[in-house]
Amino acid sequence: MDMFIRRFLRMRILIAVLIAMCFSVSVYSADKPADNPEGKKIYDGWCAQCHGYKGDADSFTKDVSLPKPRDFTFGSFKFRSTPSGDPPTDADITKVIRNGNPGTSMPPWSRFSDAEVKAIVGHVKSFAPDTFAMETKPINVGNPPKASKEIIEQGKELFKTAKCVECHGNAGRGNGEKGWQADFKTDWGYGIAPANYTHPWELRNGSSLEDIFRTISVGLSGTPMTSYMDSIPDDKRWALAHFIKSLQLTRKLGLALKVRKTETLPSKPNDPAWEAVDYLDLPMGGQLMFDTRNFTPVITNVRVRGLYTSKELAILLQWIDKKPNDGSDGKPSDSIRIQFPINKLEGTELPYFFMGTGKAPVNLWQWRASDKDKVSSMTAKGPDKIEPKEKPEATVMATYDDGLYSVVFKKELKPAKDDPVFEAGKFIPFAVAAYDGQNDEDGNTRGAISAWYYLMMEPPMPLRVYVFPPLVSLGVLIAGIGLRKRLRKKKV
Amino acid sequence: MLKIYPVIAIIGLVISIGSVIRKSPFFNFTGILVCIYGLLKSAEYVMPALPSQVILMYMAMSFFSFFIYFSIQEETFKAFLEPMRAVFADDNKALLRVLIVFIGLPLFAGYLTYVKVKPTYDPPVSARIVHPEPPSQMDFRGKSVNVLGLENPLRKDAANFAKYVEEGKKIYYQNCFFCHGDDLDGKGHLSQAFNPVPLPFRGTDTIAQLPESFVFWRVSKGWRGLPAGSGPWNSSMPSFEDFLTEEEVWKVIMFIYDSTGNKPRSW
Repeated sequence: MDMFIRRFLRMRILIAVLIAMCFSVSVYSADKPADNPEGKKIYDGWCAQCHGYKGDADSFTKDVSLPKPRDFTFGSFKFRSTPSGDPPTDADITKVIRNGNPGTSMPPWSRFSDAEVKAIVGHVKSFAPDTFAMETKPINVGNPPKASKEIIEQGKELFKTAKCVECHGNAGRGNGEKGWQADFKTDWGYGIAPANYTHPWELRNGSSLEDIFRTISVGLSGTPMTSYMDSIPDDKRWALAHFIKSLQLTRKLGLALKVRKTETLPSKPNDPAWEAVDYLDLPMGGQLMFDTRNFTPVITNVRVRGLYTSKELAILLQWIDKKPNDGSDGKPSDSIRIQFPINKLEGTELPYFFMGTGKAPVNLWQWRASDKDKVSSMTAKGPDKIEPKEKPEATVMATYDDGLYSVVFKKELKPAKDDPVFEAGKFIPFAVAAYDGQNDEDGNTRGAISAWYYLMMEPPMPLRVYVFPPLVSLGVLIAGIGLRKRLRKKKV
Repeated sequence: MLKIYPVIAIIGLVISIGSVIRKSPFFNFTGILVCIYGLLKSAEYVMPALPSQVILMYMAMSFFSFFIYFSIQEETFKAFLEPMRAVFADDNKALLRVLIVFIGLPLFAGYLTYVKVKPTYDPPVSARIVHPEPPSQMDFRGKSVNVLGLENPLRKDAANFAKYVEEGKKIYYQNCFFCHGDDLDGKGHLSQAFNPVPLPFRGTDTIAQLPESFVFWRVSKGWRGLPAGSGPWNSSMPSFEDFLTEEEVWKVIMFIYDSTGNKPRSW
């Protein structure tokens, strides 16, 4: 066995050395992009699948990624540190390669050496030689002022007066009216959605204060996001950046959500009382297992909260939808489903995480924007075998505020013997599927889905926790006093 | 970084040696126990950490054997008990008495009781077999295929190797890269949503250790083909027989080996 492991480790080193040799450092001369075989080789191997062998984004992934890959031949580059109209610097392109673009299919490439990245940058530039013929340099970002209530307040004012709200919406969720007009397009000719500031983990151009300031200053070339360097002075752009930064949510990932017991449930889904309740963020992915597969989901996060009383369990689901659809505009209606196992299974066994199977079916509660406050209860034995139930198992309430859907499902709690799945103190598996009508998501397989998670109705702290420790302390104290008295007497 | 447990062991040893010189069996006893505890906990720096149950057992054994050792002679035992008696009875130890007997010990006992009676809740954990035993036979869209000894038919056509790899690349980036990653590192832009997270193909511990027949079975049957021990209910791996032909599956397999510099296992 030992022998085997040692041989295996040695093999691993050998393979690493072999791979390293394949990508050995090459010298590349920047002023001759045509003579850059190293850059072309790596580009063709690891960039062309999305950006195209000719740099024109006519590629394998053009129909299966959103946002679409960048067309380099167009000569317009979104992510720059240089003034609007100028090409990006080599450092800008390097930064995109090294850090990736969060929220897109462009990952951070850490595997390549600095020399290799330099060669790739040279090859990327060779697709638009005219653009890069121009001399340019980065704008001066300077030192950011410190965050304060006043500066955030000032930024909030500016956010309205500078008309940021028109595209990005009042709460910065990217739901502004203007973003959904027919002519809201990129120079490449396809639609684009204004950024949602509240999800810092998917801000393409970075989420730090400096990143935001730079984006406001120089804009994103080829998109409706123009440069505000000349129209808004530095200090005001910093105020805007501080305000935008203050909108960012903190994502909380995990496996389980503990649900607290309370006297009364908040009356509405958007009741501020919910904000004090603990939450869990579910990262959402496209449904990829069943036809029709969804490679381009736009709902990327569902935030879950829960509360329960002696009678009811309430689950709040919140997600961002920049353009609400209730089915009246020719697009499918927005909807969300939450799923629970029907039966208790052996050990850690569960029904299939998307819509169950014939052997292990699941319960679904569905809310659709077109049905307002009506819940659909269904049994699913797979995505193609979903049957409605006669009696709904839950009630639902929903609100839409400035780009944010809030949906509360409520379920009546019964004694454990009648309803073994929803037992306090037990980890109850649940999964979520969310559908954005604007993205032509149909309410079944074409949607954004989560893995299994657990929610647990935390039983109230048992009385013994408050009683036993003080009793034991008191006992030990009394014993100590007693012993002291006895030993002292002895001495006398 | 300073490692805490060896330090505890050394402090224990110092106390123990010091008390031998000062002829105080009680502190000798305490020092030895502290030292043993420090040593047992230090084990985690050179081997997998000892389970708390094992440590508890060793500590109990040490406690009793040293207690017997110190109590076997009456004179030693008297000296052993002396510090405890002094804390309870001596007039010049009043401050120590209040701190230890009347405050420290009751609080400590209360805390231990609290930890013991407070309920804790942890979500279920499932152990999962990542590479289960493949079946000897499977069906691909109704056609029976022997997995045992199955070979990639396209490898025989060496002249068209580059063409097949390129076709495999296209299939990979239209079907797999969302999860398994642009760089085949398992970090695709949708991978975070799934649990278990998709496997990487880079590195030497996934496809490098598997024959192509195994990979063909996994790609073709996906979650549906997994045995219960591998938790099929959590797997987001599609059954690619629903979307690809046999030949396409072989092509994509050629691409994932070629592009990561791995070779299929052939033994």
